[in-house]
Amino acid sequence: MIEKQYKVIEETGIHARPATVLVQAAGKFDSSIQLEYNEKRVNLKSIMGVMALGIGQGAEIKIIVEGTDEKEALQSIEETLTKEGLAV
Amino acid sequence: MFTKLFKKKEETPKTIELKAHMSGNIVPLEDVPDPVFAEKMMGDGLAIEPTEGKVVAPVKGEIVQVFPTKHAVGIKTSNGVEVLIHIGLETVAMNGEGFKAHVSAGEKVNVGDVLLTFDLDLVKQKAKSIVTPLIITNTEVMINFEKPFCSGKVDASEETILVVTVN
Repeated sequence: MIEKQYKVIEETGIHARPATVLVQAAGKFDSSIQLEYNEKRVNLKSIMGVMALGIGQGAEIKIIVEGTDEKEALQSIEETLTKEGLAV
Repeated sequence: MFTKLFKKKEETPKTIELKAHMSGNIVPLEDVPDPVFAEKMMGDGLAIEPTEGKVVAPVKGEIVQVFPTKHAVGIKTSNGVEVLIHIGLETVAMNGEGFKAHVSAGEKVNVGDVLLTFDLDLVKQKAKSIVTPLIITNTEVMINFEKPFCSGKVDASEETILVVTVN
């Protein structure tokens, strides 16, 4: 299992579009991918789950990945977060 | 042995009907001018171009989340169908101005309950579009998806706009 912390920089937080982009990135991997925010963990492969957290700008989030392709998965999620200007 | 009999699980319907979430004109998802919706990246569904600034519950369920900017609301039905209603396009930038939430996360709602109201003219003025998609975000659990309408006028909570069957 690997995990990494990020800080949300997107002004409007993780709303519909960013949630969709993240879920699509996560869905490409076999590993279980979870997002933790405010002591709550959700499946990063579920749009509703991610949106339900109501993550705003400045939030500290953690991505937890476990599975055979965990390294590639975390790398892909990180690329998406950076490319979309969502988090650092 | 008896406990088994008595513990009969409450039946949850496998097919559910979703009523119109607003009054207005039906817009096929493919025609929504935003690829996130038009390309069904979030899931399948249908949009309405509203004639009134009011969103009602299309199904019985529990509110998953009202986004802090009050432009989107998520509902989960008892059989696990996740419904997202997103008012207008690029409305997140309005930061809640002109939007009012009438429900909060965890609340149980029935068809027709008012979820959100908003200033239609303000959204028309400030957002990219007022077209409001209703998306089944977990489309992958559906085994059948019917859309009785592909155009025309509907009234909030009157017409059935989607019929979904879950596995």
